[in-house]
Amino acid sequence: MWLPIHLNENSAEPMYHQIEVQLRALIVSGQLTEGTLLPSIREMAQMLKCSVITVRRVYQDLETEGLLRTRQGTGTFVASVQEEDLGRQRTASVIEAVEAAVEAGMRVQLTRQEMEHIMTRVLDDRWKENG
Amino acid sequence: MEKVAISLAGVEQHRAHFRLGPIDLDIPEGYVTAIIGPNGSGKSSTFRLLLDLSKPDAGQMSILGHPVGQGDDRSWKRQIGYLQEESDYLDNSIRGSEKATFIRKWYAEWDVNLYQDLLRRFEVDDSIKLGKMSKGMRRKFELALVIAHKPKLLLLDEPSSGLDPIAWRSMIDILHRYMEPGDRTILMASHIIDEVRRLADYIVFMARGQILGKYEKDELFERWHVLYVPAANDSDRGKLLTMPGVIEVELAGVGMYRIVSEDAPQTEEALQAAQFTIGSRQAMQLDEILQVLMQRGVYA
Repeated sequence: MWLPIHLNENSAEPMYHQIEVQLRALIVSGQLTEGTLLPSIREMAQMLKCSVITVRRVYQDLETEGLLRTRQGTGTFVASVQEEDLGRQRTASVIEAVEAAVEAGMRVQLTRQEMEHIMTRVLDDRWKENG
Repeated sequence: MEKVAISLAGVEQHRAHFRLGPIDLDIPEGYVTAIIGPNGSGKSSTFRLLLDLSKPDAGQMSILGHPVGQGDDRSWKRQIGYLQEESDYLDNSIRGSEKATFIRKWYAEWDVNLYQDLLRRFEVDDSIKLGKMSKGMRRKFELALVIAHKPKLLLLDEPSSGLDPIAWRSMIDILHRYMEPGDRTILMASHIIDEVRRLADYIVFMARGQILGKYEKDELFERWHVLYVPAANDSDRGKLLTMPGVIEVELAGVGMYRIVSEDAPQTEEALQAAQFTIGSRQAMQLDEILQVLMQRGVYA
């Protein structure tokens, strides 16, 4: 099973956090439906080139949040998502992506105004395309 | 606490031209631990000591709960698969299948289906004489041989030496599958950076007979970063050097300092508190980290 999870090793965000945010987004957005069997901890570690220690932590955290459940001997599954969680968690991965964009701007020392200008321009372009 | 598969305590070995140790190291059960270090750093010597193929001058070792070098070692050695660095040239004149027949005698757990499956996946023909096999095929054959009895512990000394990229990929995959049950352990020596990246959960750095450090892999890459910081004048260098985690500070172009940190989150916090801006950050690669650790070893 392939999952669209991308890690940025140059990020200041710890790896478990990056995986957690993206996996959570896949679940709450409905791309991973209830009952889906996730890769084993070792398979996930192989796929993401991270250690099993990190993957175990992610699975445990998301289990505590109620997004995953583990059945002894069979594996880790996607649990049901509550409606109220959906809205809140949908935005979490977007915020993360915007933060990365802002960081890219700071690297080349853009001002706040310049960044706002870029953001507006990108949004305008996109909504024009779709509109 | 986690179970320990291998433990070394105060282990030393003195040779005319090489001194190993003292080594204190615990290898946790259920994980892949990779020892990386330059040639001659003592990786193979450590493997030989662990298997009681040579004797230490000091210290204690245990494997899977059994003390090394005492009593009957047959029962615990059956639970180990050891891939040595060099092929045994004494075997050159026999066929692969003959070697396998000999080896399986000693292992009650030998799984003939698994053996055949490994040969198929590695595309190895075991009817060929070992001396006639290509270097890569022979390596793959030997790897199948040490996994086929489903050992609890695999000791792999430079497992990928001689493998082409395709064979290398299937080796990585096979080792991951080997680990799937969760209670198995791999200790491997390697200087192939990408191999360590893909396989290891823990990384041990070794040089000149000494352990330079043991790290959880992801934490290592999260903490060891190079930070680029614009700074106004020379007096800033001293300030930067005293910050937590900072190992090196050097001028990288006009008004830009390059900082090597072994604890980037802390360093960044200190930088921000002192009103420095962070131009960019970059995770360090294993070889760069090894180099820094070795340099520090010299002056420590």
